[in-house]
Amino acid sequence: MTDATPDRIDGVAAKGRLDRLRAGLKRRHAKETRFKWYGRLAIAAAMLFLAVLLVRIVEQGHTAFYTHTVTVPVYMDPARIDRAYPQGSNFEQLAAEQQLARMGVQDDAAGTRAAQMKRLFSSELKFVAADLVSKRSEVIGETVPLAVPLSDDADLYLKGEISRDTPEDQRRLTDQQIAWLDRMQAEGVIGSHFNTALFTNGDSTQPELAGVLGAVVGSALMLMVTALIAIPLGVGAAIWLEEFAPKNRLTDIIEVNINNLAAVPSIVYGLLGLALFINWMHLPRASPIVGGLVLALMALPTLVIATRSALKAVPPSIREAALAMGASKTQTVFSHVLPLAMPGVMTGAIISMAHALGETAPLLLIGMVSFVPGVPAAIDQPVGALPSLIYIWENASERAFHERTAAAIIVLLVFMIIMNAAAIILRRRFERRW
Amino acid sequence: MKFRIFRSAEDQTGAGPVDPTETPRMGGQVLPEVTPSKGRAAAEPRLEDATPVSNATVVDSPPVGPIKIAARDVSVFYEGKQALYDVSLDIPDKTVTALIGPSGCGKSTFLRTMNRMNDTIAGAKVTGRIAMDDEDINDRSIDPVLLRARVGMVFQRPNPFPKSIYENVAYGPKIHGLVSSKAEMDEVVEKALKRAGLWEEVADRLQSSAMGLSGGQQQRLVIARAIAVNPEVILMDEPCSALDPIATARIEELIDELRERFCIVIVTHSMAQAARVSQRTAFFHMGRLVETGDTEDIFQNPRERRTLDYITGRFG
Repeated sequence: MTDATPDRIDGVAAKGRLDRLRAGLKRRHAKETRFKWYGRLAIAAAMLFLAVLLVRIVEQGHTAFYTHTVTVPVYMDPARIDRAYPQGSNFEQLAAEQQLARMGVQDDAAGTRAAQMKRLFSSELKFVAADLVSKRSEVIGETVPLAVPLSDDADLYLKGEISRDTPEDQRRLTDQQIAWLDRMQAEGVIGSHFNTALFTNGDSTQPELAGVLGAVVGSALMLMVTALIAIPLGVGAAIWLEEFAPKNRLTDIIEVNINNLAAVPSIVYGLLGLALFINWMHLPRASPIVGGLVLALMALPTLVIATRSALKAVPPSIREAALAMGASKTQTVFSHVLPLAMPGVMTGAIISMAHALGETAPLLLIGMVSFVPGVPAAIDQPVGALPSLIYIWENASERAFHERTAAAIIVLLVFMIIMNAAAIILRRRFERRW
Repeated sequence: MKFRIFRSAEDQTGAGPVDPTETPRMGGQVLPEVTPSKGRAAAEPRLEDATPVSNATVVDSPPVGPIKIAARDVSVFYEGKQALYDVSLDIPDKTVTALIGPSGCGKSTFLRTMNRMNDTIAGAKVTGRIAMDDEDINDRSIDPVLLRARVGMVFQRPNPFPKSIYENVAYGPKIHGLVSSKAEMDEVVEKALKRAGLWEEVADRLQSSAMGLSGGQQQRLVIARAIAVNPEVILMDEPCSALDPIATARIEELIDELRERFCIVIVTHSMAQAARVSQRTAFFHMGRLVETGDTEDIFQNPRERRTLDYITGRFG
């Protein structure tokens, strides 16, 4: 053995141990710093993607929120207006010809210039004029100013979306039309204003007349059906499973299946809805009732899982306290456990509703991608929905629909934000009570 | 008034000066002469000491006064695992009975058989007979909801409802339909809070949340909530284990006052507490009732080796 005393050995060992500890400590700190940076990077990347998405959508969509209107004086020529059936009169031709005359342009025999001028006005002109004449027939023979939207292409030019520098055969407006537009704008007959049509109209084949109201109403009706079915069913099922159900093989199977159903792709629910509600129950295709039922089926598993975890989070001591006071199981659940779980239940419900609002795939299968003009009012009529409207508009050939697609996305996102904010506010409210 | 401060078991067993107010129940020297048989056991550990005795309960000295709860051969199983073995115990009325023993010995399990709280645990099974006023509480005809209105319970951690102080106390009378008017309810709440010694502290904030009270106040509120329905028995499962010594002293005083009206059964880990508040003590070990008797006797003349070892802090 060596001559080292036990003390010295201990001293050396202690020193070595400290050194080793120090070395390890450095490594541990480095690891921690590294991990913190990974976290920051991940957050930064996520924020970047979100910012790019939002900027892109706003950049593309903001122009859809304003539009251009032209005010043209129209002489209601008694010779060319059918008093008995004003809708049959060619007001557009009338207005175009008169506009050409005012601008001192001579039309050719084929009337190509009038046709070109006509294409600068929205087809809305016809309806505005016909409406006016049928209401007030005394305007026939007078000159009345008509304010009508510009056509989508003229609107796009004024918004700078169609460039004068593009070769003429590659753009939708001729040099002449552009010159006329410039002249009319210089004369001050063209005004720009907020695009109310986007919010007050249903879908239309004319981009300048198309609006999201039909889809918003359709989505709202559908969501109402979904909420009325999914929330009571989902919350009830969760309460029973969590608080009352015996623990046996059957409830185990139910639990596993609910978790699996939450992961089933939504298009499968669309197929189920098609087979069950449309083909078998013969509910009207593309109606809010069918859409709502399909979305309710889709939202149920998520809702059950969210509610169950909210119930699980209630401390067992509250249940014990109520039971020991002689409260029955039902009293315990409904006057103590559920109120405490309410913030979680509400959040789960609203998040699943928001999810259902944005769901598109199942709607494709139950016929909600069809063109539905106007604004629906009943739950058994065909409607559009915001996500499917976005899908339809994105696929439309008119360029003016592209900015409206982005605008519709903005509208959908605003609804999502409102719903999520509601979830947060409700949560705070219920939690602040005690 | 003077505070009775919590003292450890070691203090109790020592020969030091003892608070005169406690002498009737405590006695000075807790370790007197050991009996010859105990002495032998100390020298050479016997097999019987390590494993629970197979025969049923030793009822050392029967309690005086009327019996409130009589348990006979009570066994409890949790999913097939036995937690309590053939416990037979008489619990006298208007008395504090302490259940002591090391962790996992079955004392809380036994406590929970008396208001059928074990029913709420999936896979729990209770056998044997527990009679309250000669009526089998496990009988089919007995509704556990009614039973729990007669047998109140206070838990280890204060568990007031996250509602107002008033609503907490009023909850029991409300669900059991014991009062008919608001004025009557006010009276019941005030009386219960006064009896629990909390009225002075909360009288001006009855409508504020119970969660804003301190731990000791919450525990007294929970006691007020339990006594508001005027139960016959109050079960307490280590009611002071989450409290500081001062709050503990207040609860102990309260238990002493409540004894005049209720039959109280208290589970405690603190030998000192058992000695201070109880008149009867039952010692549990490994799921069996080892010894029961007057608290004074148990602490001064334990008949069983294991009781002696436990109260002197040799295990547990």
